[in-house]
Amino acid sequence: MSQVTKRTRVQRLADSVLPGRTVGGYANLIEARLRKLAATASTGLLPLSGHGDGGIFFRGGRVVYAESTRTPTPVRRSVGLAALGLVATEASPASNGAELVALPSLERLFGMLALTEPTIDAITELLSSESRYAKFRSSDYPPAGQMSPLSIEAVLAEVERRRQVFRQLAPVVTADSPVVRFAPRDPPSFQVTSSQWALLVRTGDGSTPRALAMALGRSVFGTTIEVYRLLALGMLVVPGHAAAITSGQPAPRPAEVMSFIRALADAGGSNA
Amino acid sequence: MILPAADELLAPVMAIDGFRLACLIDGSTGMVLATREFRENQDGPAPPTAAAGAADVINALTLLNGRLATGENLEDVMVTFSDSFFMVRPVGLDQQPQILLLVIADRQRTNLAMAHRSIRDFCASFTS
Repeated sequence: MSQVTKRTRVQRLADSVLPGRTVGGYANLIEARLRKLAATASTGLLPLSGHGDGGIFFRGGRVVYAESTRTPTPVRRSVGLAALGLVATEASPASNGAELVALPSLERLFGMLALTEPTIDAITELLSSESRYAKFRSSDYPPAGQMSPLSIEAVLAEVERRRQVFRQLAPVVTADSPVVRFAPRDPPSFQVTSSQWALLVRTGDGSTPRALAMALGRSVFGTTIEVYRLLALGMLVVPGHAAAITSGQPAPRPAEVMSFIRALADAGGSNA
Repeated sequence: MILPAADELLAPVMAIDGFRLACLIDGSTGMVLATREFRENQDGPAPPTAAAGAADVINALTLLNGRLATGENLEDVMVTFSDSFFMVRPVGLDQQPQILLLVIADRQRTNLAMAHRSIRDFCASFTS
């Protein structure tokens, strides 16, 4: 006699025809689609929609660019006050990376990262479980400001690692959690980096890591981690802890400890 | 490794005696940017694992430095294992994003002082 209930059988049947209800939802289907595009050495654009719209550009089956409406687009690297987000910066026109050749090593690395990080950030967002892909447009050429072509497996491994980090952070802060500055009665004694300072001076009531990232033109993933660090330092709090803010007590800090090595292990990529 | 084109940047640190592995890591995201391995490093640590560990170590020490608030900067971290040295140094002290250099070297074949100097010089040349 079967131990499977009718309800379970109905659920399994629904899962087999409605991918949005399977574990991982449409994300698994998107990954399968991306792998197929890689296997067929495709060139063009795969449009995606969901929480936000965007697309992933391929050239010869490798990823060269991606953009999402929920993550910042690549901008020219800022210096001085612009690096702190204290002055407005111009979005860069499309770059093909040729101007990076003559730069010192660190600037070359920053130049490469300035294209790659927003692309990986966008793909992480686009591969959320709510996203769906549309028909692949093989005639669409990638924009000029593209990074060095990356294998889809390298991209998916990095995206999965980031998902695991987001899962670790989720009990404390997500990319869309509002945070506020903590202002104790006594002047605190802390030391912050320039990157953290840029976030602190921009944090207002209800600022989220995503809004801060968009304002500063930084990665949503990296900004969420930086916000987590400021929470750990007690310089930011989530609004639920308003009582502590008004009482002047030390800000509550996250109990969980973020670990890149644990995220890698959870993503199954320790030997990647 | 996400920036294959950046691998060549690590060529100078491969000259360190006892060199096993080097990585460039984005300290803010933990992403491995570039990797170079000694060809006989088959039994050595996997680059992603070593890089993630290095990013975690720097993250913990950055939090410590933030709490101590002495106005100092973290210059480097040296860890001695029974068989290897594990060395991490931010490339460019006040640069954003923070790029980390990780070097793992054979303890029996490496002069720690010389390796330290080589890594410091490499980072200095990287920013000039």
